[in-house]
Amino acid sequence: MPESAWGWLIVVYLFLAGSGSGAFLAAVYCDLLAPDWSKSLARAGSLVSGPLVTIGTICLVLDLEAGLWEPWRQIYLAKNLSSMIAWGVIILSGFIPVALLYAAALNEITFVGKIARKYIRIIEYVGSALAVATATYTGVLIAVVNGVPFWNTPVMPVLFLASAISTGLAAAMIVAAIIDASTIKTLSNFALGHVIFLAIEALVLMLLVFMSLTRSTEAAISANMLISGVLSPYFWVLVVLLGILIPFILSIVEYYEYGEMPKSLVIGSDLLVLMGGMSLRALIIFSASPPQII
Amino acid sequence: MKKFGMTRRKFLAGAAVGSASLVASSYMSFDAWAATDTVAEDVKVTPTLCDACGNWCAINVYTKGGRIWKATGNPIAGLNKGKVCVKGHAMLHDVYNKDRIKTPLKRVGANRFEPITWEQAYREIGSKLKDIIARDGVQSVFLVQYPEGNEDLTNRFMNALGSNNVFSHASTCFLPRNIGWWLTTGAPKPEQDLENSRHVVFIGRNPAAGLQLRMLVDMAKAKDKGAKYVVVDPRFSEMAAIGHQWIQIKPGTDLALLLALANVMIKENIYQKDFIEKYSVGFDEWASKIDYYTPKWASEKTTIPEKVIVKLAHDMAEAAPSSIIHRGYHGAMGTQYKNSLQLVRAAGCINGLLGSYNQKGGMFNAPKVKLGKLAPEKYPGVPELDMPMSDGSGDPDKYPITPVGLGITQAIPELALAGKLKAGFVYHNNPLRTCPNPARMIEGYRKLDLLVSFDYVLSETASLAHYILPESYYLERDDVVHTNHCYTSKQVAIRQAVIKPLYDTKPMVQILTELAPHCGVGEYFGFTLEEYNRAALAPLNISLEKMKKEGVIDLGGEWKPGEPKFSTPSGKLEIASSILQDLNLPAVPVWEEPLVSPNSKDPYEFRLIHGKQAHLTHARSINQKYLKEITTLNDIARVWIHPERAKALGIKDGECMTISSSVGKGRARAKVTEGIHRDCVFLPSGYGVFAKNLEKAFGFGTSYNDFLPTYFDPVLGHVMANEIIVRVEKTQS
Amino acid sequence: MPRFGIAIDATKCIGCHSCRVACQNQNGLEFTETFNWIKDKERGKYPSYDKEYVPLQCNHCGNAPCERVCPTGATYTTPEGVVLVNKKTCVGCKYCMEACPYKMRIILHKAGIVVKCRLCIEMVREGGTPACVTTCPTQVRIFGDLDDPNSEISRFIAESGAEPLRKDLGTLPHIYYKRS
Ligand SMILES: Nc1nc2c(c(=O)[nH]1)N[C@H]1C(S)=C(S)[C@@H](COP(=O)(O)OP(=O)(O)OC[C@H]3O[C@@H](n4cnc5c(=O)[nH]c(N)nc54)[C@H](O)[C@@H]3O)O[C@H]1N2
Ligand SMILES: Nc1nc2c(c(=O)[nH]1)N[C@H]1C(S)=C(S)[C@@H](COP(=O)(O)OP(=O)(O)OC[C@H]3O[C@@H](n4cnc5c(=O)[nH]c(N)nc54)[C@H](O)[C@@H]3O)O[C@H]1N2
Ligand code: SF4
Ligand code: SF4
Ligand code: SF4
Ligand code: SF4
Ligand code: SF4
Ligand SMILES: [Mo]
Repeated sequence: MPESAWGWLIVVYLFLAGSGSGAFLAAVYCDLLAPDWSKSLARAGSLVSGPLVTIGTICLVLDLEAGLWEPWRQIYLAKNLSSMIAWGVIILSGFIPVALLYAAALNEITFVGKIARKYIRIIEYVGSALAVATATYTGVLIAVVNGVPFWNTPVMPVLFLASAISTGLAAAMIVAAIIDASTIKTLSNFALGHVIFLAIEALVLMLLVFMSLTRSTEAAISANMLISGVLSPYFWVLVVLLGILIPFILSIVEYYEYGEMPKSLVIGSDLLVLMGGMSLRALIIFSASPPQII
Repeated sequence: MKKFGMTRRKFLAGAAVGSASLVASSYMSFDAWAATDTVAEDVKVTPTLCDACGNWCAINVYTKGGRIWKATGNPIAGLNKGKVCVKGHAMLHDVYNKDRIKTPLKRVGANRFEPITWEQAYREIGSKLKDIIARDGVQSVFLVQYPEGNEDLTNRFMNALGSNNVFSHASTCFLPRNIGWWLTTGAPKPEQDLENSRHVVFIGRNPAAGLQLRMLVDMAKAKDKGAKYVVVDPRFSEMAAIGHQWIQIKPGTDLALLLALANVMIKENIYQKDFIEKYSVGFDEWASKIDYYTPKWASEKTTIPEKVIVKLAHDMAEAAPSSIIHRGYHGAMGTQYKNSLQLVRAAGCINGLLGSYNQKGGMFNAPKVKLGKLAPEKYPGVPELDMPMSDGSGDPDKYPITPVGLGITQAIPELALAGKLKAGFVYHNNPLRTCPNPARMIEGYRKLDLLVSFDYVLSETASLAHYILPESYYLERDDVVHTNHCYTSKQVAIRQAVIKPLYDTKPMVQILTELAPHCGVGEYFGFTLEEYNRAALAPLNISLEKMKKEGVIDLGGEWKPGEPKFSTPSGKLEIASSILQDLNLPAVPVWEEPLVSPNSKDPYEFRLIHGKQAHLTHARSINQKYLKEITTLNDIARVWIHPERAKALGIKDGECMTISSSVGKGRARAKVTEGIHRDCVFLPSGYGVFAKNLEKAFGFGTSYNDFLPTYFDPVLGHVMANEIIVRVEKTQS
Repeated sequence: MPRFGIAIDATKCIGCHSCRVACQNQNGLEFTETFNWIKDKERGKYPSYDKEYVPLQCNHCGNAPCERVCPTGATYTTPEGVVLVNKKTCVGCKYCMEACPYKMRIILHKAGIVVKCRLCIEMVREGGTPACVTTCPTQVRIFGDLDDPNSEISRFIAESGAEPLRKDLGTLPHIYYKRS
């Protein structure tokens, strides 16, 4: 019997769609609440969001086997609305143009951007809704799969949303630090965002794993794979230690140091968050364990 | 939805491609797909016989657009009753295997071959053969074959030459089984009415993997009606999986179990007295010796609890006369132990105690069809040869009751090394892989001045031959009419070509008729296969056309239960065998130790036993990709070992073990299972191909023959295949 | 309209894999592609040791998760209750493979589509029997109409108490098992 049907392309897709929508939310947040001192972060977030989600979507398309070589088949992709992929298609086809438009608008790129600039608030509200939908949807996509009991829990979308925001924030912060080095100081304000969302992520992850241990035999198999089985080194090192704990501590330090932390450490911490987000998705996909049927 | 489709297409096809053209092209492509799919290709059905194992089941083969597609079973065929097994389905594909031999070949070096014409091959073989006969006499020529179907004509060829050195797989497969039943009942292969049996004991017979489809169909029906199956086996076989009771026995000790069963039945007076009195000889002699073989005694020998033995005897007796011990085949009763002959004898006698002969649900002799023969006026018959074979078969001083024409195949290399055999033909047989001790086999076969193989691939043996005359695959050829499908009624069946030969190959009968003149025996082969088959069918009033249209024809003549008949010297069931008596062998079944026994104190020592798997035929079909996939997917080429023994050796499930015996060494991964006796390890027998030209199979797994010394059972000369002591260790990496 | 199903008497299965290859030929599958799996299960210690072979294939669920998640609607249920994949509209997203709790779907990489047991729909619509059923030497498989109380399959299920695998999943399979 085939083991897991989905591989790295789907992992990357889940990750990029999540971090892309997270970046969008971060950008909107900055633009709405702290427009003067967080401009560069808003700009960075808006600039990465669209491309990330787009690349993620390319990964999804690349993973389609018939739909890649005979792309017209993709016409059917949103035919069955009880499928989360169909919803994903609808949400993404709304979100990608809006995210790209937002980047254009916020950064006043081309005449399109200039025109869109006038409607920036509408774009931000609509886009935020779509971004939350995208981030949540990536979790729902796998949460509705009763073929994998470990995934089949409402906690999953919450986890994916929290992780999307952390990774989106991280992506935006890295780009902000690159395009505008002077921004480091102001960035430390957002380290608090990391602290909060990493904490939420850690809590939800704990909840997922510990509930799975008792939820069903198969969910427990998956959970055990993560905490003590073949995948445990990756889980503890890549996700828990490097992906959550260290960035969590660094973010606290960063927040209190108020811009005194070296740039490399700031960027390093954000890179770790991204790496952790990616590893988290990979491990969730690869720890899938089907119901025991005989 | 459409919008999104386009968004994605942008990434793929580029923005330049207009959606209109895409949609248009998409519709074109849909039609293209539909075209390959729904256009009805011409489907043809040809009834023929499978040759993927020796059962020759009757199958209907479908072609689609001229290409072999699938097969279904012929429902009237006595051998398979509408079924086709896994090999029967998979080996259909082998007609397209690129490993096939495509033209006659001449060997020009170690594993180097050159294509030659049939004419050149016939000429060179003919002249070499004549030289050898002139120099070393005709008894230096032999044929070794898996005798079925065309055997009448291959034997004719040998006898025409003047040699009766016709060998077969008998000494590696069934010899004691056939001789044992023949001595006891007069028939070497009595059948059993499994559809009506109420209680069947399988002693080392596993029809659920050593497949016989009819048996399985019958048993499935009988099981629904309440029949009970008891499986005596050192391991939990596939038959055990559908049986009612698995009795785990220490290998090589079944004879002790049967003697104790007889003991209980006789002591407790629960045997069929009427039958014994009326239809048997030697009961009193046996009864006088049976006292010794108490369940307690047998329990020590076999490791089966006394209670289980006594209960089994009761259960068997209770279901009599629709109660039998199965006739057996290769396992335990076949060529596996020094005491196999006595074991079969004991089984035959117990079936007498159960009074099951010619009873409903008992044992019976299948009705036989008498085929016609070529008219001797037109086609001269071959001379009768009345002499022992070179291996001593039929020789009063060597193997007096081993039939001439079956032979002791592992003697061929010994005889070649001794200079007694010089030229050989190998037909539908692969002695280098299916006989013990391959190193010795190779050494002996190498000594031959002429070796001709008629294989369809470069098997181990073909790879050593001087000439290979490729027979057409069974789906490409016609063969002689045969009567193998007789079971409860008389049946005739025929194999015929489903497709034309893909390459320059020929049916065996044509090869023989064309080769014969070059060997100086053309006068005996002046007929065609068609003439031969018409002559065979003539007395049955069946035209060849009708035969080919139907594939199998049932002639009626149903077996009915009735008065038992035995064609032994006494005309009775010979509990005491007059023939064995004359040979100074124990006349009634008595205990005999196996040849070897593992030292139970040595944690490394085991007996090596083997057995079939349903998806593999001997060691030949692991080269077929559909079949090999079943092995790899399910990881079933592993060697079975008992958990406690494995633990003592530090071997975990799936780990590699090194296995060695006095003649060989090999590796296999462990299957640690409660389903095996702790005295032995079990190796599935379909692996260990060392023919380099069989691409899929080469080097995959190992074979029991690699560990088996060259033995000759003292009475019959068979290989005693399970008399192997091996040392098992965890492989040090 | 009949409602097709298969009852599997696993107590008769010898694990011979004849069904697997019969099906591969019937459906023109490559050697690595299959709609049937035979899994074995060992239990206990001698003398109560036992091993069982369980043939597995798509269960043609009455409430099929694979169908629910299929974005293109390529997976659909016929009026006879047979779950099929339309190979012209499947995009090969493999969502259905993840969603099937029984893991009874495979992807054909060459065609890029996901397939599975088709209950030999062409043959059975014409009154025939699926290839895996006809070939099984021990008559493990009984094909028929689950809605006809007098069909062989319905009687077998009633008498043997055969049940679907993992009934608790709520998938309402059309394949029933008698287990040892
Ligand atoms: N699939 C398939 N079917 C075949 C064939 C094939 O190659 N493949 N070949 C055909 C031929 S030629 C033959 S001869 C038959 C063989 O058919 P069988 O004789 O049924 O086959 P084996 O598997 O050799 O042996 C049967 C059992 O004997 C057990 N055994 C070994 N030692 C002992 C012992 O000391 N005592 C007892 N009680 N049991 C023991 C083995 O564990 C095994 O389960 O199959 C025929 N059918
Ligand atoms: N390793 C191993 N050895 C065994 C056994 C085993 O299971 N494994 N089983 C034992 C038993 S029970 C038996 S009966 C014997 C069987 O012994 P063999 O008869 O030697 O066994 P097969 O493997 O069937 O070999 C058949 C040969 O015929 C060739 N062949 C196949 N189809 C055709 C055809 O259509 N025409 C021609 N001309 N040739 C063809 C195959 O390529 C192969 O080389 O082996 C015994 N020895
Ligand atoms: S048992 Fe299988 S392989 Fe042997 S002849 Fe019958 S169908 Fe062919
Ligand atoms: S078994 Fe799996 S593939 Fe078949 S219908 Fe049920 S969910 Fe779908
Ligand atoms: S792979 Fe095909 S059948 Fe499966 S969900 Fe996707 S589109 Fe539907
Ligand atoms: S019903 Fe047909 S398609 Fe399904 S497993 Fe059986 S043979 Fe294959
Ligand atoms: S054909 Fe029948 S006995 Fe053989 S594996 Fe399939 S279901 Fe089991
Ligand atoms: Mo055999």
